[in-house]
Amino acid sequence: MRPSSGLWLVLALMALWEVSARLHWVDSPNWPPLSTVVVALFHDIASGELPPLIGGTLWRMGAGLAAGSIAGVVVGLAFCLAPVTRLLLGPAVELLRPIPVPAIIPPLVLFLGLDDPMKITVVALTAFFPVLTNTMQGVAAVEAEAVQMGRTFGVGPLRRAAFIVLPATAPYALAGVRVALGLSLVVAVVAEMIAGEAGIGHYLVMMQFAGRAPEMYATIILLAVLGYALNRGFVAMERRAIHWWFALGRQADG
Amino acid sequence: MTQATRRAALMGLGASTLATPALNAQALTKMRVSVIPVLDVAPLHAAIAQGYFAAEGIEIDTSTTAGGATGLPGLIAGQFRAVFSNGVSTMLGVREGQEFKFISGASRATQGPPDILAVLVRKDSGIRSGKDLEGKRIASNTRNNIVWLRGMAWVEKTGGDWRKVNTVEIPFPQMADALIGGRVDAVISSEPFVAAALETGQIERIGWPMSETQPGCTNAHYVGMGPDLARNGEIFDRWARALHKGVDWVNERLGQPALLELISNFSRVPMERMRNVALPAYAKNVTAAEIDELVGTMQRYGLTGRYPASVSLIHKTAQ
Repeated sequence: MRPSSGLWLVLALMALWEVSARLHWVDSPNWPPLSTVVVALFHDIASGELPPLIGGTLWRMGAGLAAGSIAGVVVGLAFCLAPVTRLLLGPAVELLRPIPVPAIIPPLVLFLGLDDPMKITVVALTAFFPVLTNTMQGVAAVEAEAVQMGRTFGVGPLRRAAFIVLPATAPYALAGVRVALGLSLVVAVVAEMIAGEAGIGHYLVMMQFAGRAPEMYATIILLAVLGYALNRGFVAMERRAIHWWFALGRQADG
Repeated sequence: MTQATRRAALMGLGASTLATPALNAQALTKMRVSVIPVLDVAPLHAAIAQGYFAAEGIEIDTSTTAGGATGLPGLIAGQFRAVFSNGVSTMLGVREGQEFKFISGASRATQGPPDILAVLVRKDSGIRSGKDLEGKRIASNTRNNIVWLRGMAWVEKTGGDWRKVNTVEIPFPQMADALIGGRVDAVISSEPFVAAALETGQIERIGWPMSETQPGCTNAHYVGMGPDLARNGEIFDRWARALHKGVDWVNERLGQPALLELISNFSRVPMERMRNVALPAYAKNVTAAEIDELVGTMQRYGLTGRYPASVSLIHKTAQ
């Protein structure tokens, strides 16, 4: 791959980081040179300390994302195809949506404790809303002819939902999952920072309190790389899963 | 012997050989303790590392929180059996009717400097006393906690009016940067952040808020819930026995590398820095007199209200 101009910007910023710390433009023990940070990162990966923490965080993130996404798709389909559910649940969902997740962590700790159930729930709640919104958008965009044809052929409402509406909605729902994916990593780490002794989030707080700036930034770089890799992986998966959508050429290039 | 009885006999045999380890595993009481990643919890980690808790049949699961934010609420919610907490936060909860009881001492101020809290300023600031801080900004990690309270007492002691000093909240790890960057004029910091701040060469220490205002004063304790203590007193007896052996272990090694290594291991503070860090006095008990002094100081600095008699808050394991 030829280095694009975007890559050059990243490299330039990294060089600026290194130089600003080496030449004491920013004079603080909390601004270590990038090279020191990278050494700390490789050291903690090689020592075996970080890999299980990464695994734990990714597992909590994945479990929450899966639960939240499935719930988002199911509720989204139900809201559109069975309007009575929207009448019943719509206001509750709309009231919950704007609440910042960190604000509801204390009550979640009260009911779910400090371990995985609480952290996974927090991630699931975060993932739920973008998937729900996108799914509903997707249902609205399903071609009416397709549904009518199903009706003409005598396909029942449940089968229509599963075999006509759901596949047509998939590109929209998957776009929602992609948004949720980035948020999930953020929220999983935030939840780990608040309590318990698990995952990258806890490691980050501990290093902050130990005054170990290189390890702290190493964790931040690790999170950036993880987030980037997850997104690239997801896009690749998306292209395989809904190749017909891309074949139609309706999506924006990205 | 029929087939069935033979099988039963075999199963009985199997069960009896398995029974011993199974029973032992069952007898291990799991206790979740909320801690803060600070030097004051060294005895707890010593007792875990030395196997004192295991010897009492207790398995400790520590949960680190970066401030008191989830500690005491987690205790009320039943997430923790014991919480390391600063005295002011505990007493504010007691004032609001929470059934907190002191189950062990944790740390006190030393009789004289150095102690674990320090007032820090920029070297070129010219600020020397509480009087100089009037109209200026001073930071503590949280308002209305022990750090803030002892800091305000220091301002008064050195001729200032604490009401004329503006206090802001800054987490310990960011205090040195905020001070050097001129965002505040002074900070009330705690070890090991004091040692880290002094390493920059741009910051100096002008006061010791605890040992200069009230030598040997109370700082932090372990807290449990009254109803839990009443029901499961025996578990807490064992817990305190193990913890107090840890206090002995730590006190026997003050100033020795073994203790600094232990602290460096659980807090991850680099060993080089640990050598410059001041330690608190590690305590086993809590006295009514020290809580009375604390409440008196709280009343004086605006945390007024009705507090129950101190002696009623001290569980027998802390007496």
